[in-house]
Amino acid sequence: MKGWVWLFITLIGLAISLTGLLLGAWWLTFVAGLIIGAVIGQGRVAIPAGAGAGVVSWGFGLAVLQVYYGLGASARSLAAIMGFTGQPAIPLILTCVVGLLLGLTGAWLASALRGLLVPATH
Amino acid sequence: MTLDPAGEAPLKTDDPKTPDIPDVPTHTQSAARRPPRSLSAINALLALLVSAAVLYASFIGAGPLPALGPAFNPATGAWTMAADAATVQSQTLTIPGLQQPVRVMFEKDGTAHVVAQTDADLFLAVGYVHARFRLFQMDLERRQGEGLLSQVVGKAALDSDRFELQLGLLRTAQLEWAQADDTTKIALTAYAKGVNDRIDEAKKTHQLDVMFTLLGYQPQPWTPIDTLIVKGDMTQTLNFTDTPLVMELLNKSLGPNLTQQWFPVLPPNPQSPYDPGPYPTQAKPAPITVLSSVTDSEAATALALHNRLANLPPSLVATGGASNNWAVAGAKSVSGGALMAGDPHLHLTLPSIWFQLTEDSPDYHTSGVSIPGTPVVLIGHNQHISWSLTDAQNQQTFFYEEKEDSAHPGQYFWKDAWHNYTSVSYDIPVLGGTTDHLVVKLSTHGPVISERGLTTSVWWAGNIPSQDFSVLMHVGQASNYQEFRDALRDWHSPTHNFVYADDAGNIGLISAGYYPLVAQGQPWLPMPGTGEYDVTGTVPYDDIPQIYDPPSNIVWSANQRQVGPDYPYYIGTASNFFDPGYRANEIQRVLSQPGKLSAADMMALQTDTRDFLASEITPILVQALAGDQLTSSEQQARDLLASWDFRMETNSAAASIWSTFWQSYLSQTFDPTWKAKNVTVDRHELDDALGQYLEASTIAGGRASCPPNAICAPPPPAPPYGALRSAFHAAFSTLSTKLGGDPGSWTWGKLHTRVLENLAQISGLNYGPRPDRGDGNTPLAAGGDPSTHGPSWRMVVDWGTKTFSGIYPGGQSENPASTWYENKVDTWWSGLYAPMLSADEASFAPGVTTWAMQP
Repeated sequence: MKGWVWLFITLIGLAISLTGLLLGAWWLTFVAGLIIGAVIGQGRVAIPAGAGAGVVSWGFGLAVLQVYYGLGASARSLAAIMGFTGQPAIPLILTCVVGLLLGLTGAWLASALRGLLVPATH
Repeated sequence: MTLDPAGEAPLKTDDPKTPDIPDVPTHTQSAARRPPRSLSAINALLALLVSAAVLYASFIGAGPLPALGPAFNPATGAWTMAADAATVQSQTLTIPGLQQPVRVMFEKDGTAHVVAQTDADLFLAVGYVHARFRLFQMDLERRQGEGLLSQVVGKAALDSDRFELQLGLLRTAQLEWAQADDTTKIALTAYAKGVNDRIDEAKKTHQLDVMFTLLGYQPQPWTPIDTLIVKGDMTQTLNFTDTPLVMELLNKSLGPNLTQQWFPVLPPNPQSPYDPGPYPTQAKPAPITVLSSVTDSEAATALALHNRLANLPPSLVATGGASNNWAVAGAKSVSGGALMAGDPHLHLTLPSIWFQLTEDSPDYHTSGVSIPGTPVVLIGHNQHISWSLTDAQNQQTFFYEEKEDSAHPGQYFWKDAWHNYTSVSYDIPVLGGTTDHLVVKLSTHGPVISERGLTTSVWWAGNIPSQDFSVLMHVGQASNYQEFRDALRDWHSPTHNFVYADDAGNIGLISAGYYPLVAQGQPWLPMPGTGEYDVTGTVPYDDIPQIYDPPSNIVWSANQRQVGPDYPYYIGTASNFFDPGYRANEIQRVLSQPGKLSAADMMALQTDTRDFLASEITPILVQALAGDQLTSSEQQARDLLASWDFRMETNSAAASIWSTFWQSYLSQTFDPTWKAKNVTVDRHELDDALGQYLEASTIAGGRASCPPNAICAPPPPAPPYGALRSAFHAAFSTLSTKLGGDPGSWTWGKLHTRVLENLAQISGLNYGPRPDRGDGNTPLAAGGDPSTHGPSWRMVVDWGTKTFSGIYPGGQSENPASTWYENKVDTWWSGLYAPMLSADEASFAPGVTTWAMQP
């Protein structure tokens, strides 16, 4: 499979994830990972692609908020609520990690299942 | 572990270790490189397990973590607090239910001005505005009173929920709603509609407060009952007390005589009642008997219930009040108009209990502070009068031990007959647990709140339906004292000292509310529930403490006993029900000085740090130390006290010495008895009451200071001079250990701090702790360390110049990322004020933004 196809599939996954976030269907990031994993198949490509789609979409959401409203006070507040007073990076990182994990696990699961369905040689 | 067991990467044909098999089809080459099916299965299983774990954490959450997916979704989760925190912009809003357009203006500091063309629209818009900025706070408050906290925070809140449902805030709110007049029903219904408009909007736009998101629930629609529950919460905080249980435990351990001596009905120390009489002579108060012995079973029952109440959240049981208000008649003011000042002292939280606004409609023109969840201005002014509240502190909680026996299961004996308990059932949903089923038994006295030992029920004035909103709406419309006083006639609970001033130079003070009268017995102790000791009614309205335009030209209250020893009715004991009186004494002292007073004087008095008790005792202490052997450092400490102005300022070393000395003095005087008699009540709970006795006996110079109403057989526990010296040496030692050897460096700010606590108990969102001035006895109330209680709102009115000033420690928004979360704190902390603008004035203020609300 050509690299541009992988990129295209990844971008499709990214769009699905972003749409899901806007609609409150955050789990679509996982679905996007599933699609990426199922279509690309190769784990070594699909998994980074899924993780990338996840982290970029969630990170993009944060970036938009930063541009329009600024995230400093919110990050400080969320960190305090989480028990990490004075460490505003933690909720930001956690948000990106959630997106990354959803995309990554979706892609991994799909590529792994696809691997099971293809006959193996003994 | 490989993440690519099904890898389809092209073979590297230049790899020397890879055999060149040109005749084999490509797909067979791939199959040859593919790992065995067993490895693929393991990989798939691992992927499945990890995916399941990630999805579980994302959908459900784990441990203290919320469901991560919805919580951290940048578009609809907790991060939406960033958009919510953005500066309010002028805009047009469509608000369902409005009859006419409404204008809402916001000053730069967030103070709101609601201008409506109908009264219903006014309350609807206020509901919307409250919910826009304080919805989570409102939801927490209704959940507390309705016993529904466990539903969102789990088992930890179950004791609170069970107690609240037993006590009966929900039942009382339902009764109040059933009995409400049309005006109240219209106001509360409109208010609920406005709140629900905002809830619907916030759900649609994903703008619910971050705490809803993190706790994983959405608010239910608001109802008028919820508003009445919020009022009930406030009533409970201010006047549901456990003092009779404490008195019973003291009576058991100390004995009746010592209890009577240390915890008398009338205050043993000099106080300044605002209503000096003459009192009604036609009154026929019930005979109140002297203390008698307490049985073992009575004491065990009291201890069990006392411990249960002690383990509840602090806001559920009143632990003493602290608020100030006063007024100065036009004849004594610089401006020629009446002056008024009010600062209710409450638990200082972020967000604050208050929301500042003006309300304008055809029938209402009020300005001041409201409690989110309720539609009216509670403390403030209209075009002609101003008012503020302090807690009246009279006894409003009475405990009854029901008579039962095994031959009459499910019954209690009352007025010579056996009666069935009635019962009410509740289901309490518990987050992460099974629903708790609660059956509440009710006797004629009220709900049964303990069946450990003797069955104990509670008569609480807060359970008497009280149409407080109707009263407050009439107060808001009053234009003179007669209308103000008439409006308060229907106010039952919580009993408050309502101070009054008007634009004609008049002043007044009336302690409106329910003053329960018992037929006989010892109401400061739990009483038999057999009927002879029941609450039979209330002190007539004309007989309750009140005063209007006194010759002194001043009125004041600070939770002190409002009346002198000749007042014919029992209204509570000196211990715990009423404040020791130091703030009231200091306020009275300042206001009584010759000359005229200004609004600036009112502001200065609200932030006054002079400790009246210290001003009484310190000179005696200094005198006692004059004959004592002192080291040079001790001499330095003594000199600091001798030259002290009795002000608890952060830079005052004498303030630290005084405070530490007084604690030592209390400890050395009473702790030996506490230990010898195995008193089960923490002595510190009773320091206010014990302090009054110690103050009186110290001032008396070592002679037995027996108040006229008390039985004073034993002399004071120790000769004052020796005890004073001993306590001073102990305090000196304590401070040397804690702060070093130089008494000059023992500044009060090193010992005393204040903190504004986040309402959801998230310490990272607190303000402070910061060193702060004042103590529990100063008009600027700051008891405890860190102090968490104090002036929750300061207002000063000068009717001569028509200037109104106010400030509260907090901000209008509950969103911690908002600039309106704590923007008023620094002004408040500095003792400064903000002008309370009218809506007209606000419309010309710089930086004002406007919401145009359309039906």
